[in-house]
Amino acid sequence: MSPVVEINGLTKRFGQFVALDQLSLSLNKGSILGFIGPNGAGKTTAIRVLVGLTRPTAGTARIAGADCVREARKVRQLVGYMPDKFGSYDNMRVREYLDFFGAAFGIGRRKRRARIAEVLEVTNSTWMQDRFVESLSHGMQQRIGIARTLLHNPEVLILDEPANGLDPQARIEMREILLRLADEGRTLIVTSHILPELARICDRVAILAGGQLKAFGTLQEVSRALSQRRTMEIELLDANRVVSVAAELRSSLETDCEVTPSEAESVVRFRTSADEEQLSVLLNKLVTSGERISQFREVAGDLEEVFISVTQQETHEQPQTKGESAPVTETAS
Amino acid sequence: MKGTIAIVERELPSLLRMKQTLWIFVAVALTFSATVLLKWPSTATADLSGIQARAVFRGLAYSMFVTVILVVPAFPATGLIREVRRRTMELLLNSPLRRSEIFLGKLIALAAFTALLLSVTLPAMACCYAMGAISPTHDLLGLYGLLGIICIELIVLGLLVGTIADTAESGLRWVYGATFALTVITVIPHMFLQGGDSSYATVANHMRTLSPIPALLQLVGDATPGATGAIEPMDLIQRYVVSAMVLSLVGCLICIQRLNYSLMDRSRAQGLITDERSASLRVARRVMYLVDPQKRKSGIAWFLNPIMVKEFRSRQFGRLHWLLRMVAGCAVLSLLLTLATTMGTLDWGVEKVGAIMIVAQVGLILVLTPGISGAMIAGELESGGWNMLRATPLSTRRVLTGKLMSVAITLALVLCASLPGYGIIMVIKPVLQTQVAQVVVSLALMATVAMLTSATVSSFFRSTAAATTVSYGLLIFLYAGSMLVWANQGSPFSHAVVERVLSVNAMAGALNAMEVEGFQIYEGLLRTTWLVSGGICGVLLLVLSARTWRIWQPD
Repeated sequence: MSPVVEINGLTKRFGQFVALDQLSLSLNKGSILGFIGPNGAGKTTAIRVLVGLTRPTAGTARIAGADCVREARKVRQLVGYMPDKFGSYDNMRVREYLDFFGAAFGIGRRKRRARIAEVLEVTNSTWMQDRFVESLSHGMQQRIGIARTLLHNPEVLILDEPANGLDPQARIEMREILLRLADEGRTLIVTSHILPELARICDRVAILAGGQLKAFGTLQEVSRALSQRRTMEIELLDANRVVSVAAELRSSLETDCEVTPSEAESVVRFRTSADEEQLSVLLNKLVTSGERISQFREVAGDLEEVFISVTQQETHEQPQTKGESAPVTETAS
Repeated sequence: MKGTIAIVERELPSLLRMKQTLWIFVAVALTFSATVLLKWPSTATADLSGIQARAVFRGLAYSMFVTVILVVPAFPATGLIREVRRRTMELLLNSPLRRSEIFLGKLIALAAFTALLLSVTLPAMACCYAMGAISPTHDLLGLYGLLGIICIELIVLGLLVGTIADTAESGLRWVYGATFALTVITVIPHMFLQGGDSSYATVANHMRTLSPIPALLQLVGDATPGATGAIEPMDLIQRYVVSAMVLSLVGCLICIQRLNYSLMDRSRAQGLITDERSASLRVARRVMYLVDPQKRKSGIAWFLNPIMVKEFRSRQFGRLHWLLRMVAGCAVLSLLLTLATTMGTLDWGVEKVGAIMIVAQVGLILVLTPGISGAMIAGELESGGWNMLRATPLSTRRVLTGKLMSVAITLALVLCASLPGYGIIMVIKPVLQTQVAQVVVSLALMATVAMLTSATVSSFFRSTAAATTVSYGLLIFLYAGSMLVWANQGSPFSHAVVERVLSVNAMAGALNAMEVEGFQIYEGLLRTTWLVSGGICGVLLLVLSARTWRIWQPD
C-alpha cells in the first residue's frame, strides 16, 4: 500500500530560528497520527506546510502523490484542514457557513445541499443547522469545524488541537467522530495537548521537540524505544504473597529496579531493563519457588510518560547543530 | 475616590504607551507648526487691522476642532469594548470598586489624555497670540474651554457606545456616526428652515445648539452655517455649553447604569427559522416581510461569487432586508432633499441645494465606506478566516473581486437611492442635465477611491479597528484636508496651489460641475479630478492586488 502522506527532510527556518528540522515520516491510508510535542515544537508549522499555508525552506511534503507546494490547489481538494483558531463569520447561520465553504470548494448547489446534510449528520450537528455560528459554544463550533473540513470529502483530515477547550462530554463525542472518520478510510493527522485523549484514538504517534522528530511509531514501539526500561506486571492469586514476591524481584533484578507491590490489587509492578531471556528466567524462578501467578505481562507505555521522557531529554540535551538529522526511532513503511 | 485614582493610574499610562498616541501627537504638533509657519508674516509691514492674526486664529481653531472630532471618540469606545472582550472589565466589576469610580476613572484618564493632546497645540496658539488681535480671555481661554467641553461630550459618547457595541469596529462605526450626527446633522434642518416661524423652525433652531459647530463659528467670529447675513441673535456658545453639559451628564448616568455584568452577558441568538414555525406564522411573515430575515436561505448559486455572498451575509447590515431598509432610508432622505430643493430654489437656487446634496452624499460615503471596506481583509486576518480561505481552491482574483463587489454594490445602492433629488433638480433647471450627470460620475469616482483606499489599508493591518481608523483618517485627510486648503485660498495658499490640491478631491469636481460659489473659478477642475481620481483608483487597485496576492501566498 502506497503511503497517503509522505514527508521527506522537511525543514522550515524563520531567519535564524529553525522551526522544523529535517522532518521525515509517512502515513498509510486510514491511519490516525497523533502529532505531539511541547509548545513551539513545530507541530503547527508542519501542518501548515502540509496544507500549503507555509513554504518549506527545504524538503518535500506530498499528499496522495501531490506536492504540497507545487500542486497546492490539488492538495487543497485532498485535505480537510481545521486550524486551532475556528475563524467564524458573524451573523452567519451554520447552514450558510457550510454552504459558503461548499461553494468555495466548487461543489454544485444540489450536491452541496446533500453534502451539508451528510456532514451535519456525521458530526451530530443537524439540530444546530439554523443557529448562528458565533452563538455556539466552543465544543459545538469544533464540531462545525470538522463538518466544514469534511464538506469536499477529503482523503486526509488535518486537525490542529480539535479537543482544545472541550468539556469531557464534548471530548468523548469528538473522539467518537474521529474514530468514525478513520473507519471510513480517511487518514487523520491530529495535534493535541490532551495526551490520554490522543492515546485512545491514534494508531501512530509522532513526537516533535525543538523542530525535530524524536519518535515515530505505534505508542508501544515509541514507548519502548524511548524508555530504557519497560513496566511489567505480575498478578498473584494470593495477595499475601505480594510482599515476598516483591522482595524476590528486588534481589533477582538490577539494584536500581523500581518495584511497586500493591496488596489491594494483588499485583507487583516493576520497571526493568531486563531482556526477554532474563524475564523468562525470572518467571521460571518464581513458578518453581511455588508462587501462584495468574498473569505476567508488559504494561503498555503511557503517552504522557513518553512525552515527558522526550521533553526532559530535550531540555537536558545541548542544542544540536541545526541542519543535522535527528535520530528517529522508527519510520512507518 | 481612591478607586477612581487607581483606575486613572492604570488607564492614563496605558493610553500614553500606545504606539498610535505617539503618532497622533507627532502629527498634530507637525500640522500646527506647519500652519504657523505658513501663516507667519513674511513682510516687515505690521498688520494693525489684525485681520491676518484673526485668520490664523480661525485656521488653528478649526484644525483643533477637526483633530478633536477625529481623535477623541475612537479611544473611549474601543478601549471599553476591548476591556469587555478581554474580560478585564469582569475583574474590575468583581473588585470592591464602585461602578461610578470605574467610570469616573476612565473619564478622567481620557480627559487628561485629550488635555495633553490639546496642550500640543499651545506653542502654535502662543505664536498666534504674539501676532496680536487675539484676546487671551475671550479667544484663547474661550476656545480651549469650548474644546474641553466638546472633548468631554465626545468621551462620554464614546464610553456610551463602548457599553453598547460588541466589537471594536462596530464601536468605531457607531461612535463616528454619532459624532457626525451630533456635529453636522443637527445643523442641517436649521439651514433649510431658518427664518420661518413654524414649530419645525423652532425645533431646528434648538437642535443646532446641540452641535459645537455654530458655537465654534461664533467664537472665532465667522458666520454660522446657513446664515444669510443677519446678525446671529442667539448666544450659541452659552447654549451649546448648557446642552453639552446636560447631554454629558445624562450620558454619564446611562454609562454608569450600563457598567455591570450584563456587558459580558450577550444573549445568544436561538436561531429561530421561519421554515420550522407554524403554517399561520409562515403565512403572516410572508405577508409582512418583503424579505424575511429568518427564512432559510437557498444555497449560493453557481453564477455568484461565494465570497461576495459571504461578505453580504456576514456583514452586520449586509443582508438583503437591511440593504432594502438602507435604500428606503436613502430614498426618504432624497425625497426630503427634493422637497428642500423645491422650497429652497426660491432663496438659494438649485446650485446651492445641489451643493448641499453633494456634501451630504460625500459625508454618507465617508461614514459608510471605511466601516465596510476597512474590515475587508483585516477582519479575515484578525478572525483567522483568511487561513481558512487560503485552504480552499479559490483564487486571489476571485476573493478580491467578491470582496470589492460586495462593497461596490452597497455604495451603488446608496448613490442610486439619492438620484430622485438630482432628478428634481433637472426638472427645475433642465440645462443642468449634463452637470448632474457629471456630478453623479464624480460621486461614483469618489466612492470608488474611498472603497479602494479602505480596502488597501485593510490589507496592511491585522486588526480591523486599526484598519478602520486609519481608513477614516486617510479619507478625511484627503477630502476634508483639501477642502481646508481651499478654505485658506489667498492666505497662505495661492489659486494655483489650491487648484492643484483640489484635483485629488472628486467632491470638488462635483461642486465645480454644479458651479457652486467658490468652485466655479477653477477652469477644467472637473476633468482634472476625474483624471486624478481615476489614476488614484488604478494605483490603489494595483497595490491592493499585489498586496492581496502576497498575503495569499504560503508564508
